[in-house]
This record gives sequence, C-alpha cells and structure tokens, in this order.
Amino acid sequence: MIYGDKKTGILVQGATGKQGEFHIGLMNAYAREVGGRGVVAGVTPGKGGQQVHGVPVYNTVREAMSEHDIGASVIFVPAGAAADAIMEEAHAGIETIVCITEHIPVHDTMKAVAYARMQGSSVIGPNCPGLLSPGEVKMGIMPSGLFSRGNVGVISRSGTLTYEVVDELTRAGIGQSTVVGIGGDPVIGQTFVDVLKQFENDPQTKAVVLIGEVGGNLEEEGAKCTDLPIVAYIAGISAPPDKRMGHAGAIVEGGEGDARSKIARLKKNGVPVASRPSEIPDMVRKLFCGC
Amino acid sequence: MKLREHEAKNVIKEYGIPVPAGFLIRTAAELPAHLDALGDKIVLKAQVDVGGRGKAGGILMADKTTAVKTAEELFRKEIKGLPVKEILAEQRLDIQHEYYLSITVDRSSKQPLILFTEEGGVDIEITAKENPGAIRRVIATPLMRDLPPFMLRELAGKAPKEIMPIINKLYRVFLEKDALLAEINPLVTTLQGVFAADAKIIVDDNALGRQGFTVNRDLTDREREAEKHGFSYVELNGAIGVIGNGAGLTMSTLDLIEFYGGKAANFLDVGGGAESERVMHAVRLVASVPTVKVIVVNLLGGITKCDEVAKGIIAAGISQKVIVRLAGTNEAEGRRLLTEKGYEMLPTMDLVVKKAVEVTK
Repeated sequence: MIYGDKKTGILVQGATGKQGEFHIGLMNAYAREVGGRGVVAGVTPGKGGQQVHGVPVYNTVREAMSEHDIGASVIFVPAGAAADAIMEEAHAGIETIVCITEHIPVHDTMKAVAYARMQGSSVIGPNCPGLLSPGEVKMGIMPSGLFSRGNVGVISRSGTLTYEVVDELTRAGIGQSTVVGIGGDPVIGQTFVDVLKQFENDPQTKAVVLIGEVGGNLEEEGAKCTDLPIVAYIAGISAPPDKRMGHAGAIVEGGEGDARSKIARLKKNGVPVASRPSEIPDMVRKLFCGC
Repeated sequence: MKLREHEAKNVIKEYGIPVPAGFLIRTAAELPAHLDALGDKIVLKAQVDVGGRGKAGGILMADKTTAVKTAEELFRKEIKGLPVKEILAEQRLDIQHEYYLSITVDRSSKQPLILFTEEGGVDIEITAKENPGAIRRVIATPLMRDLPPFMLRELAGKAPKEIMPIINKLYRVFLEKDALLAEINPLVTTLQGVFAADAKIIVDDNALGRQGFTVNRDLTDREREAEKHGFSYVELNGAIGVIGNGAGLTMSTLDLIEFYGGKAANFLDVGGGAESERVMHAVRLVASVPTVKVIVVNLLGGITKCDEVAKGIIAAGISQKVIVRLAGTNEAEGRRLLTEKGYEMLPTMDLVVKKAVEVTK
C-alpha cells in the first residue's frame, strides 16, 4: 500500500461545497464496503459545527487534527484557495495531501509544493482524480466500480483515460495495487519519479502501468529510475505543437515533450510502449510471464 | 498567454530593466512624430503572434530618412499568414556583446529554473546542442522573493556586473507576473549600458484574471464559442469530429483515429458531469467545422449520466453521422434513447473509432 490504507483517517477540505459533499458520500460508501475508516473530518472556514453525511466539520485543519487521527486529506476548495489549503494541511502535519482542484495558478502550486516538501508532506495533484487502492482506501473521485485488487500499480497524468485503462485491466483479470492520478498541470507534487519510488517499496506492487501524455519529460525520467517492470502508454501522438490539449501541462513547447520522442526514449530504455489503451493488458501479462 | 513584444517590454521596464527607446504605431503616418526620439538608426518590428518573425521578414532595418517608407512596406506585408496591424519602432542599438537570459518553470524540480549564457544572440537551441556547457543553470526556490547573491554570481560568471541586478529584476517579473516563461534574448551591452533588445513573457492562463491582462489572442468564431461553454478545444484538419471527456481520453481518441488510418477534425474535451445542454452545444460546435463528415463521441466516467448525454446528442439534431461510446451511470437508458433514434452506440473506443474511419473512407 502506498500513501494510505484502511486505517488511514481522511480529512476533506471544502467539505460543505457541492463537490466536497458529493465525494465524501462516495468515499465513505467505499470505506464501508472495504471496512476502512474513510473520511473522518471535514474543514470549511466558518462552517465549523456542521455535519456532512454524518462527518463533523471544523473551521481549521488544526482543530480537526486535535479531535481525530488523520493521515491524509482530499482538497475540493476553489482554485484561489487551494494552495493555502495545501499549506495549512502541510503545516498541521498531514502526510498525504490530495488536491483535486483544477486551474490553480502554477506559481501558487510551486510555492505550496515547496512548503509541503519542507514540512515533509507529499502532495498528489493538483488537477487530479486522486488515488485508489482497491479493497483498502479511496482518496479522491475515481469511480471505484471499475477497480479490482491485484499487483499492478498504475500512475497517470489523466482522469478518464486512467479509468479506461483500469477498466481494460480489470476486464482482463489483472488487478491493481494502487492507482494514482498525479494530475495534468505543469507543476505537480508527486511526479512519476516520486510515485515509482513508493511502488518500489510496496511489496504488493509487481509491475507498473505508466500513462503519460505530451509535455515535459517526467515519464522518461521516472522509467529510468526504477527496476520495476513497466508498460507505458503516451497520449498525444496527434497533438499539434504549441497547443494546450485540455490539460495545462499537455503542451509540446519549443519542440520538446512531443509523444514520438517520449516513446522513442522510453523504448530505448527497454520500456514497452502500447500504441493504444486496449493493448495494455496483454503487454502487462507478458511482463509477468517474462516472454 | 504570450505577451506581444511591446507588452513584455513595458512590463520589464516597470521593473527597471532598460529597454531601447521605442514606440508602438498602428499606421506609418504615426511614425514621423517619434523620429527625433528614435535617433538615426531605427528597427521596425511587426507585432504578430508567431515565432521566427525575423526570418519571415517581420523585422526591417531603416534610418531616419527611410523609416516611414519602410514602415509602409511592413504594414502591407503578411507574416506567416498574419496581417501586420502594429509595429514597434525602436532605436537601433550599437551592440557590443549579446547574452541570453531565461527563467522557466522546471517540471522536474517543481521550482523556477534560470538559464544564462554569455553566448547569446545565436539560436539558443543550437548552443544547447553544440556547447551545452556554455549554458549555466540555477534552480531557485519560489519561497524567496529575490535570488541570493551567490546564485546571481554563479549565473553571471564573467559577464559585466550590471547583468546581476537585471537577472534578479527579471526573476521578480517571473514571480510577480505569474510567468511561465520570462526571457530576454538578446540581453545586450552597449556603450550606453545594458539593454533588453528583445523580451518574451508567457503569462499563466490561470492567473490572467488576477494579473489584469486582457487576452490578446485572435480567436476564431468556433474557438470563441468553445471558450463560452468552457470546452477545451483545438482545431485540426481531418474529417472525424471528436468529443470526449477528460483531456487524456480525448487525446487518446485522436491518436486512435490516426492509428486506424483516419484524421481527426478537432479536440474537444467537454469536461466532467456533462449535462444534455452542454453535450448539445459540443455536438453542434463540432458539426459546424466544414471538414467534419462523422462525429465520434467517447464519454466515460462515474459522474457522467449516459441518458443526459444521449438527450444532448439527439437535441443537437445535426446532419452528420454520430457514433457513440458511452460508459457510466444510466448506461442502458442512454443506449435505449440513442438506438430508438437510429444512432449507433458501440461498447469500446476501438470500435467507435474503427467505424468512424470506415465511414470517411
């Protein structure tokens, strides 16, 4: 297990908002299904004393921490307040901070991630669907019905494309250890490199599916720094240069970060790269049988 | 959003970085009023949103006597297909040496990255390839407002000491203006001192509001329509229209079209929890692209309600064929609505894309 398990108490910031309320419901439904603790506290400044789906809401993270044993958090607050939310949680000592919020200015993310690193917290996201360890814990918004428990870790910059791949894996009888959506922004807390290091120390994870896209070169950096067997897929082979493809970070700039050169570099490092999502399960199976 | 050169120069000037005397003109007739301030040697630079404008003929040299005629000539030109609406008329500098200074967001370290080289002026990509050791790199922390002096010394090397405060000033610009890129290339020394001969600033789209920048991009009608509805939209050139939810899945759908030998007309990410009206607008928008013969809808996810999506597709009432892949809640109801109206709904993205490519062949 990486980043958390059944025993992890989760805090939700932005608990009383529409998104926060909806997903506290879903996260706790999943927690009941697997016998986990789920969301134990919510935070919305000025709304302390309220309850959301039976979960007590506090004004500050510190207050919530003094009442509950909390190891992780999920952030649903608006873009203008999200960096502050990350720093408040890091300051209070929460180890894993998942930030779902989209459209946070990059400079705010840089500061929040730098501060969180100083405090020893790991930030997942922003602009991500969170993570799910089947049978253990769900932190975020991934649709749990598609997942099954097993030995394959999944790391992805995308949301729905991750669900597509997880669905393909599950249908093929390949279960997942932990699926991490690291986010589609240019600056994110946990990159492929960071999550792969976590998977290296996780006895449950035997292989990793790495789902990347155009922009940057962190897929290749990640693949270089691990001994775990990997299957990769890179979206955006048809992406034109200098256009943002939906994600703020999905852009081919100054001739760098295009899909073809990423794929070539991954293959050069011995990483098999799928040319479409439906090829991934067979390629993963080949990793396990060593053929 | 990339600022135009004159906007970027105004920003760095506010921060005390010297720029050559310059004036923005919209007609050649505005030029004579500025000739005295510009001096004998003048450079005229077309303010168009394309890279490589110099090589494309967008930068012309002139002197006091030929400047008006040269400006007229430049206003009549098209630079890589774009009309020249504004020209920056600038004093031409007597350059002694050219440097390159650039500050970007480094994805790997998640911090600002400052690049400086004493081998400026030439194409920086060529320097990076042929003499990478000449480019000095320093990673800074976004938690400090100024670069510590040791970093400035490390970057500047043997360059004149006036360069160091300029590096720090550009760093302030980078931090305070929410820049994804702040670049001076070339940064030049002259007998009169150090000047930014050119400047490039890209401001984070997610910070335009708080920075108070008005968007300077020329959008097409369809791009404006997409922006109105909050769709991520990029136009390509093929016959297969694409609507997906989520950037990754939509990109992957485009790639799959290429894989099966077709060509996508567009990228449209309709976003999460798409309701019928949003879907209707998306379908109509893509159908209005003249090259589109068939539309692939590929939606997947927990929040997306398939019956809502089906209603939106039906309400759009377009003439082109729509092939649908839907997975999520109320899937059966969505399928019933669509098949009732004669729309094709297939279970996987491979199947919808294959079908669409067949239709266009």
